[in-house]
Amino acid sequence: MELFKPDFGLIFWMFVAFAILFFVLWKWGWPAIMKGVEGRADLIDKGVEYAQNAKEQLDSARQQADSYIAEARKHQTEILREADRMKTQIIDEAREAAQKEARKVMEQAQLSIQQERKQAELQFRNEVSALAVDIATKVVRNEMADEKAQSRLVDSLLDDMEKQN
Amino acid sequence: MNRLSAIFSFIFLLAVMPCIAAEAHGGEEAGEEKIDAKEIIFEHLGDRYGWEVPFCHGKSIPLPIIVWGHDGLHCFMSSKVEHGRTYVDGNATFKVAGEDSEHKGKIVEIIDGKEYKPWDISITKNVLGLFIAVALVIISILNVARWHKRNGYKAPRKFTGAIESLITFVYDGVIKPTLKDRAMKFAPYLLTVFFFILYMNLLGLIVVFPGGANLTGNIAVTLVLSIFTFLLTNVIGTKHYWKEILWPDVPLWLKFPIPIMPIIEIFGALTKPAALTVRLFANMLGGHMIILVLTLLIFIFAAMGPVVTGGMTVISVAFSVFMLLIDVLVSFIQAYVFTMLSTIFISFGQEREHHKEEAHGHKESATTAESPAAG
Repeated sequence: MELFKPDFGLIFWMFVAFAILFFVLWKWGWPAIMKGVEGRADLIDKGVEYAQNAKEQLDSARQQADSYIAEARKHQTEILREADRMKTQIIDEAREAAQKEARKVMEQAQLSIQQERKQAELQFRNEVSALAVDIATKVVRNEMADEKAQSRLVDSLLDDMEKQN
Repeated sequence: MNRLSAIFSFIFLLAVMPCIAAEAHGGEEAGEEKIDAKEIIFEHLGDRYGWEVPFCHGKSIPLPIIVWGHDGLHCFMSSKVEHGRTYVDGNATFKVAGEDSEHKGKIVEIIDGKEYKPWDISITKNVLGLFIAVALVIISILNVARWHKRNGYKAPRKFTGAIESLITFVYDGVIKPTLKDRAMKFAPYLLTVFFFILYMNLLGLIVVFPGGANLTGNIAVTLVLSIFTFLLTNVIGTKHYWKEILWPDVPLWLKFPIPIMPIIEIFGALTKPAALTVRLFANMLGGHMIILVLTLLIFIFAAMGPVVTGGMTVISVAFSVFMLLIDVLVSFIQAYVFTMLSTIFISFGQEREHHKEEAHGHKESATTAESPAAG
């Protein structure tokens, strides 16, 4: 069979053709492609790794940020509460102080009023007594102008004394 | 709907055409010579000087004939010896041997009325087909290489991308997993083989000029390819590989006075390239033959009247299209299989003493646990 007998010419040219093909591709083809493909695969791997890392970092950063925010919020409420507390305290204190002050002022005022009143009373009494003495003096002077009246007085006084006894 | 009707009308035309032809020619060609199917098939599968022009039977593109006759080198165009003519070049006379000669279809030198076969390295149809395949592979691969040199790590598109994905398909799918750290060393050869076979297979399916040469269905082509694989396997084979062949780990009586195992191993080494050769050759040849037979069925059935021929035309065209589509798949699969088997054979040649190294790692407890030798 002709088909199963390898032909010398074709074998020869096949060797030549394949040698040329292999040489050309070995020299200019495959190394560049292999380098390119491997390089690109490495690049993609690196890119994926980088993206994963970035995602992890982003996640952790987000978590951190969240925790920071939560902490800050807690802090804020604490501060607000503290401020509130302080506010009430200050107000209380102020109120207390004001009350105290007011009381003090009132007390002082009362004290001074009492003193004034006492003074005024004293003065009044003095004045009244002076006035009374004056009046009495005047009355006595008038009454005691005549002898009869004097003796009547003495009599009445004596009567009183007797009655008392 | 439109497309469907177009397809149906085409089928109808196919069926009716022989009837019309029969009408037109009447009975005048009834006595024409019978079709020799075998002859036609082998003519199409075989090699020839000159490349036939489609639709012009008997005409062909002349190709150079290069022969080393009894008095030296002769070069002339194949048109000089067409149709059984003899050609006198200097002192030598050449012709293409006829039907009854033992060198049928080959160029012979006529000395004293006797035919002698000279050393023939003509650029035949198949050789030109080889060159075309080589050129196309070089263009395709260098195109990808140029892309990588120019565009760095960008991904190629379209044709370049398709070729590149094939390269990575073979490299990552076959070469790397099998040869591991030696993959880079053998990848150029294996990838070249893959693309060369793939292109030759596909070119073989194209009926007209750049294709049509039955290359991978020719035993010379597949033989050379498997010889390369054989050489690579054995010449770059490791010490361990040769030890496995010549002094395998078997009881002494199997290898000492009569070297039974070494002989078997050597036969194994030799059958590998033979299997490679025949597998690719037979697969591709079979595919071509089926299509040729299906096409020839039309002409064989022509004797049975126009109606049968019409029916047969539809059936055989449908089957031919189907077979051609299968052959496209087979072209790829065979190229892949050849590459895969070459990779595996080469990896046998690259075998190192794995188990011993491992055994040392396991403090020599596993030295007795020999894995079956590859082969």
